[in-house]
Amino acid sequence: MKKLLVVLTAVLLLSGTMSLGAGGQAPEEEKIILREASQVPGLIFPPVWDGQTLSLNASIYDFLVELEHGTGALVPSLAKEWSTPDGKVWTLKLREGVKFHDGSDFTSEDVRYTLELTQDPDVGHLKKADFEVVERIETPDDYTVVLYLAEVSPTFIYQLTDYHMCMLSSEYDYASKGEMEPMGTGPFVLKQMVPKESALLVKNEDYWNPGLPKVDELRIYFVPDIDASVSMLEAGKVDVCPFINAIHKRNLEDKGFKIVSPYQDYRFIAMAADRDPFDDNRVRLAMKYCMDPEMLAAACQAELGKDVYYNEGPIQSIMAQYYDIPFRGRDIDKAKSLLAEAGYPDGLTVELYYGSDHPYGQELAQTLKELSAPAGFDLDLKGYTRDVYLAQYWMNGPMLLTGWGPRVDPSMLLKLAYRSDGPWNESHMNDPQIDALIDKITMEVDDVQRQRYYDELQIAFHERGTVINFQVPFFVAMRQEVMDYRQPPTFMNQYEYAYLEE
Amino acid sequence: MKRILYLFRQHPLAVVGILVLLLWIFAALFGPSLMPFTYSQMDTDYQMTGPGEGGHFLGTDALGRDILTRILQGSRSILTVALLTSLFSTLAGVILGFSAGYFGGRVDALFLRIMDILMAIPPLVLAMVILGILGDSTIVSLTIMVSIAYIPATARVARGALLTCKNYEYVDAARIMGQSNFSIMFVEILPNTIGPIIVEATARFAYSIMMVASLGFLGVGLQPPTPDWGMMVIENKSIMMNAPWAVLYPALAIASLVIAISLFSDFVSKVLIHES
Amino acid sequence: MSFLRKVLQRLGFMIITLVAMSLLIFFLVEIMPGDVAQMVLGQSVTPEALKALRESMGLNDPFYLRYLRWFAGLLRGDLGESLYMRGVAINLILWRKVFHSVILALTAVLFYVPLSIFFGVLAGVRSGKLTDSVISFFGLATMALPEFVSGVLLITLFSVVLKALPITSVIPIGETIWGNLDILVLPAFSVTIVMFGYVSRMQRSSMIQVMSSDYIRAAELKGLPRAYVIFRHALKNALLPTITIIGMNMGWLFGGLIVVETLFGYPGLGSLTMTAIKTRDVPLIEACVLFITFIFVISTFITDLLYGLLNPRIRFAGAEK
Repeated sequence: MKKLLVVLTAVLLLSGTMSLGAGGQAPEEEKIILREASQVPGLIFPPVWDGQTLSLNASIYDFLVELEHGTGALVPSLAKEWSTPDGKVWTLKLREGVKFHDGSDFTSEDVRYTLELTQDPDVGHLKKADFEVVERIETPDDYTVVLYLAEVSPTFIYQLTDYHMCMLSSEYDYASKGEMEPMGTGPFVLKQMVPKESALLVKNEDYWNPGLPKVDELRIYFVPDIDASVSMLEAGKVDVCPFINAIHKRNLEDKGFKIVSPYQDYRFIAMAADRDPFDDNRVRLAMKYCMDPEMLAAACQAELGKDVYYNEGPIQSIMAQYYDIPFRGRDIDKAKSLLAEAGYPDGLTVELYYGSDHPYGQELAQTLKELSAPAGFDLDLKGYTRDVYLAQYWMNGPMLLTGWGPRVDPSMLLKLAYRSDGPWNESHMNDPQIDALIDKITMEVDDVQRQRYYDELQIAFHERGTVINFQVPFFVAMRQEVMDYRQPPTFMNQYEYAYLEE
Repeated sequence: MKRILYLFRQHPLAVVGILVLLLWIFAALFGPSLMPFTYSQMDTDYQMTGPGEGGHFLGTDALGRDILTRILQGSRSILTVALLTSLFSTLAGVILGFSAGYFGGRVDALFLRIMDILMAIPPLVLAMVILGILGDSTIVSLTIMVSIAYIPATARVARGALLTCKNYEYVDAARIMGQSNFSIMFVEILPNTIGPIIVEATARFAYSIMMVASLGFLGVGLQPPTPDWGMMVIENKSIMMNAPWAVLYPALAIASLVIAISLFSDFVSKVLIHES
Repeated sequence: MSFLRKVLQRLGFMIITLVAMSLLIFFLVEIMPGDVAQMVLGQSVTPEALKALRESMGLNDPFYLRYLRWFAGLLRGDLGESLYMRGVAINLILWRKVFHSVILALTAVLFYVPLSIFFGVLAGVRSGKLTDSVISFFGLATMALPEFVSGVLLITLFSVVLKALPITSVIPIGETIWGNLDILVLPAFSVTIVMFGYVSRMQRSSMIQVMSSDYIRAAELKGLPRAYVIFRHALKNALLPTITIIGMNMGWLFGGLIVVETLFGYPGLGSLTMTAIKTRDVPLIEACVLFITFIFVISTFITDLLYGLLNPRIRFAGAEK
């Protein structure tokens, strides 16, 4: 009996040490593997997805058109070419020979399916409102799609770059399999997913873009804590780590890592124009005169003009349509006199609602409070977790701090948030002149004229707008060996181009 | 008086504890007004700088706020909540525990069962679920939550204390004389059981500090920019390598307060209980 | 006979507690603001999308229906699916994390039990002397200390100053915990510091009591060497109350893991609970909280049982302790 025990123990010990050894081994040498530490994933069914683990959807699916990293120019992807004579009828020619991961062909039927899904009431598609303008879809042959819009929309094509608009297979059961077994045409195929832990993607051997992807495997680790992700990067356990903050950036740069900043995130500070106190433009101007972009930048541990930008309109500074109006300068006395004129000689209290767990939320809210205090603003900070904030306070408060996703075509954002009847008009802006400008912009086919309208719009915003736009940094850290990391303003990483230089 | 001095000499550590506690109370009352900075002031020339630089005795955090001032300001809320909690939970506990012990029978049995169930629930988790979903806390909501968590404990002690006195003659005498139950409980019995109850209250004080700090650490402390010691720890954890003082000093503040009150509570227990 | 009855009584009580707890959690999440559908969809959501998602999650059904549905699943051993990560069975997520937490708890026990008993005995044996004062002070000081405070102090010393141990306790995926045992050290030690106080004090006072009993005095008077007396006679009896405390504290230890795991980023039940609460994932919250309560209750139960078995006097007396 005792002897048996000894033997058993020996066997156990042996197997234990072997597995210990195996756990520490490096992956096989033949494969080139790119590893990313990312946030915890939510859904990966594109229509209802809200920005979790970008790299998953970006790698599994493709779009009809994409934006080019660096330039922001529109480039063909699954759609080879497109044309519109009048901005109302759009003809798209699809790339031929593209296959889904299960081998079925990508045809115009799939495009129809994907677009019609936006209007499906059971899906709750997040782009439903944007695609309501599509009246009719025709598919004259397998590789041609014609869209008939209800109204003129010269920049409609940009809608198809949106991260919700990946091309889905009309023959696949996404309702039951969409989350765990996604079906796309993208450069990587999902091989295995351990919920809340990791995803393993392998190269799509039949990818339509020859020579891509350049790595054999993509491993994504879901790490909820950004400090833990950074530790993993430092320990050499992953190659790429997005969403680091400026402090990590400083530390990592000192340690010899590469930091790229593909784009910025928007943070809109909205002042509700339909209620006290911001219905009076003088109060809005007073708040604007309290601003100090340098201090806001310092709060984010970033550099103004390099990682963060400040302006008083809804258009990001890196966009082509941006019109630069120099900062008016911080002037507390002017702010005070404006407030006095508006009927607040002794100052006032305003509630500022924000999402406390959203990056930079806390820092910006507190800085705003400090900046506006000398003029008499007493900001009552009300931070709630994002879901409570969005469910109860967003669109409902006198002053809001909200993070917005990118709209590669600014007119989309304008229609949603700044037109008086826009569904997400958080600042309840109701200005007929601005409404008119927005309409002109969306209808204008001539680029030069459209830019003139954009300029006029931004000047109007500067004078009497309801928003302060602070663009916060988005940093991605990676090892020096990682090459050609691409991430256009659509948020979708293009890992098919990345490779490792040993 | 002489007795107390004698006891002080016997337990020097307890004296240290009491002094530290008094120091914190003084700090809470007067500290913030003695500081050159306010707790939300952002000194952008000195972000994440170490102790001593720029006039910041304990350094600054990521936003350039003075750590010492924030600790002093934070002591107000943590002491207030802990004090209110220990008072409130003791009061409620005495009422519930006395009633159960005095009336006995079914009331007592029911009381014990309910208390057993409540005590089986991990208090931190329950508080976290409630406050975590509510989103933020105020002094009132924190007090209520933490009190609810601690009432079973104080009620049990009160009940136990009452039971030891229940069968004494003076109780019978009072009953014969026609005194009301309420009066018997609180006028006759209470003064004789005040010892263990006060000890329990001081112990609750220490545990309340722990609970409030932990809740702040888990993210359900007071709304920023109001300083909350627990929240200061979790907020600055990510810059721990760059600015460890931003995490270390709030943690030390919590530790010193907890230890001081524990020593104080131990001393009170030695004085009041080992006396009779 | 009465012992068996007590066992059944306790068992019944355990079940009632768990059911009551599950109902309580369900009810609380119900009446609180914020919901998982909003959490999942974030900002760009339209009211229709929200409604559709809630519908598919079954959130529009009345409260009692959802609860019964969940409860029925529980009886079958099916903890349901996570609402936030749709379609993912909770069983897939939960048990791995529980395993990690169990390992952490056991490591902590491995650290603190021998330490506490040793120092408790030492303090008891040298009662009144300097050794006792020092040990008692430590015990008292650390009793009400939150684990994250002890954790922060340890991190400062070992990670920031000495750079000897990792500052976060993450398991790089692809690896298991067995290849990363160093991540256990600091969290387990943080728990140890806090548990030490309670147990060592208990051990000390029980040791003092036993040492002054007649039976021990008799042994000493017989001329037996002191060490022999302590280890062969006194310790056995002094250990019993301490075992009780250790057992009862297991539940408390588990409940406290939520703080330790959050501080160190350790992938266990505690961090899972935090994530579940943050995302309002009701079935996951239920599963986590129930499990913690279960450990709480069952550790008390087992301790009572052991105590009754080990101490024959209690077993046959049948009196309320």
